[in-house]
Amino acid sequence: MSLQGHNPPPNTPSSDYSLSPRVSRRQPRTQMSTDRAANLNISHTVDLRALVYVGTVDQNLICAICRCALVDPVTTHCGHTFCQSCIDDALSHSQLCPVDRSWLSLADLKPSPRIIVNQLDDLKAKCPSCSIAYARSMLQNHLERYCKEALVFCAGKNTEQGCEETVKRRFSDKGCLHYTTECPDCQESLLMVELEDHREKLCDQRNRHCERCGAELLRCKESDHETECPDAIACCKWAEYGCEHEAKRRELPLHLDECSFKLVGPMAEILKKEINTLRSEVRTLTETNQLQERRIKFLENGFRDPYRPLDYSDFSDQTLSAIPEAGNPEPLSAGSEYLLSLLEAQESKMSQLSAAMTENEAKQTTLLFNETIPIKNELAEIRSMQQTTSMHVRWLLRFRLQDNHRRLGTGPGSNGGSDGATGGGSSNDSPLPRRLSDGLSRDIITKL
Amino acid sequence: MATSFATKRLSKELNKINGQLPPGISLVKADDFQEWQLDIKVLDNNPIYLNQTYRLMFKFSSSYPIEPPEVTFLACPDRPIPMHPHIYSNGIICLDLLGMQGWSPVQNVESICMSLQSMLTGNTKNERPEGDQQFVANNRRRPRDIDFYYHDNTV
Repeated sequence: MSLQGHNPPPNTPSSDYSLSPRVSRRQPRTQMSTDRAANLNISHTVDLRALVYVGTVDQNLICAICRCALVDPVTTHCGHTFCQSCIDDALSHSQLCPVDRSWLSLADLKPSPRIIVNQLDDLKAKCPSCSIAYARSMLQNHLERYCKEALVFCAGKNTEQGCEETVKRRFSDKGCLHYTTECPDCQESLLMVELEDHREKLCDQRNRHCERCGAELLRCKESDHETECPDAIACCKWAEYGCEHEAKRRELPLHLDECSFKLVGPMAEILKKEINTLRSEVRTLTETNQLQERRIKFLENGFRDPYRPLDYSDFSDQTLSAIPEAGNPEPLSAGSEYLLSLLEAQESKMSQLSAAMTENEAKQTTLLFNETIPIKNELAEIRSMQQTTSMHVRWLLRFRLQDNHRRLGTGPGSNGGSDGATGGGSSNDSPLPRRLSDGLSRDIITKL
Repeated sequence: MATSFATKRLSKELNKINGQLPPGISLVKADDFQEWQLDIKVLDNNPIYLNQTYRLMFKFSSSYPIEPPEVTFLACPDRPIPMHPHIYSNGIICLDLLGMQGWSPVQNVESICMSLQSMLTGNTKNERPEGDQQFVANNRRRPRDIDFYYHDNTV
């Protein structure tokens, strides 16, 4: 069993969770975890040599020195395996291998192969507190965190009382029980935590005679006795089926012989049993039926109209329902068939998806096209407008150039006389700004 | 700790002995984990030991099985001390297996009994060790403190 795979209970510290007994055994006995949530746990020392194992332990896993299942096994260079502590002791006495008497020193010892350690860890041993069998390697953890009979710090430790006592774990969820109370039977005052034990084993008044049958019984078990006292009034065995006879329990067998339900009772019993089995059968059948219906629906969904537009909510619904079904244990052939159908459904889904994608792509393209056409038109318009403008500019420039040539050709003398004749607005300008505007227009032409 | 170690080991051995013992060996007394008594018989037709039963006394120290137990033959009305060139007439046994040198912690009560059985079986000399009278008269030491000289490997 992997420890990490389990969800630790709330009071388990996340650190040192997977402590192996061989590590923690060397810790001081009452060392406590500093984790606040787990601070009621006491670290226990498991004496692995005092354990009672379930069944017989393989002879090959028994240390020749202590005759117990190996603890911290080490292997010698001559191939013999002992407990670390046993061989340490033996070597302090004589430096020979206890089995074959070859020379041996502590330096010749190596930790045993993993396979031996694993076999030892897997040995089932009874918990020294609660006698339930666990793998040996788990015992430490079991004792420290789960065993109901193991000692833990009293729940009062965290409260202002600061109780220093220890209690069995099964009492620890009832708060601090270290307060004085009175035994209801003998009026002796004692600690609450001891009450149960006291009433069962120690109390002078623990025994009482049943007023009906006279048998001696424990006062604290009175209510249990009520259901088995031979002199208590009880109903007939077949009361359930209609017999109204009531008598002392010990006399009931006599009544059974003459009970009018003598024949019907057993029959009814059988029928009841039968009905119960049928009911449970029906329940399982309904469950399987539901499962199959779900599966059929799923398959139908997968095949129906593979080209319909993709609906995401519907898709995720099916995926969700498909997962638990797939995890269901099924006979192999049915399972593979189902998986195959699942695969087909997925394939059709895929084709749906690709169709949807193509459609989307087309839509996008048209959209883009629609967007771009006006832009293109506008662009063309702008271009034509620009061409007309540049045509105008060129025409104006040529006009100006011709004008200049003409003026140069007539000479400076006729300058003043021709001014009034041409009537051009620019003829009155000085030569400098004219040249400037010349250059400007040339610039514009080259740019265009 | 050492005490409980020996106790644990001995309780394991006792469990096994109560279950099954090799032929010719039987448990007489094991009331505590300090002293046990067992009976052994020689199984073949060796005339020296024919139809005889011998009582062995084991005394365990707290260091058992690291240290050997003290093993002697015990003389009772119907349990004589066997004749053997390595067994003194007061029951002390000269066997290297039981000495500090020859002992190994893997030995146990059962294996000691079997070794003694075979030691008797292989013997042909109906005699006591050399200087038996003197040793028996003078020895006040416990067997574990005696330095035997294991000189004779023929028996």
